[in-house]
Amino acid sequence: MRFNMKYSIAILSVCAFPALANVEITGSVEAKCVIQTTKSGSYGNPIASKLSTTPADGGILPVMRYDVSIADAYIASITHPTAFSSSPSLTDTIAWTGSTSVTQTSVAGMSAYEAAKTVVGNTTNFNLTLAGSTWFSTASSATYGSAKPLPGGTYTAVVQASCIAK
Amino acid sequence: MLVTFGASAHEMTPAYPEVKPSHVKNVVKVEMSFFNSREEIRYYQIDLFDLNWMNIPFSTTYRIMQVDYKEHKSFDVYIRKKDMPEAVYLCTTSKVRRTNQSSTLISSRICSRLDGEPA
Repeated sequence: MRFNMKYSIAILSVCAFPALANVEITGSVEAKCVIQTTKSGSYGNPIASKLSTTPADGGILPVMRYDVSIADAYIASITHPTAFSSSPSLTDTIAWTGSTSVTQTSVAGMSAYEAAKTVVGNTTNFNLTLAGSTWFSTASSATYGSAKPLPGGTYTAVVQASCIAK
Repeated sequence: MLVTFGASAHEMTPAYPEVKPSHVKNVVKVEMSFFNSREEIRYYQIDLFDLNWMNIPFSTTYRIMQVDYKEHKSFDVYIRKKDMPEAVYLCTTSKVRRTNQSSTLISSRICSRLDGEPA
């Protein structure tokens, strides 16, 4: 009995050695664009016939952050509104204006995006030539025809923020 | 009125998806991965465009797919081989909800390219 016990302990102690193996952790970085909606905007109503997201008019600028993992793989294309997606019934035309600007960057070189931007109609394009994060804000204003007061109610317009692979 | 959202993102990969054969003759497929962390958005629309942003026909399980907050989703897009020379941009666009505040909403759109990486 004692003999068997001795052998059992010996065998178990051999088995008790930890199994050692190298476990690899692998990963890859691929082109990826993430659009973060940092802040949705709000219209101020500085005069009866106008809605504006400009802070001086009581509005709030919508802010979007683009994160790109690989340089020179994407274009940021941001379209300011030219129509309300919902509003009270309007009987006259609306004059729309808008613009999009770089407001903050994670890499100093991205400040050049603002000078290099191209505007086609109501769409502003930025070539995202560096990896990192860029913040954009879009100003939008709508003025009711013939300076009429806008009817009371809720007005909503949509900013289209696109990240397009090159 | 201030309307803000915290970390709120829309993400789709790969940027340059591989076009693979499908189980249907003369139809190819691309496999996409999607992540929604926009808390206020539940639905995303899938579109396929040519270089001039004209729609190209395709098939997928749901053209407007529901993706819950913080949910990852994989989806396949099936395209006829004869349409592949024209197919360039495969995009997902967030469907924004109507609100009761005078505001600007942000619709996000991410587009991958089917015609390969830039040379």
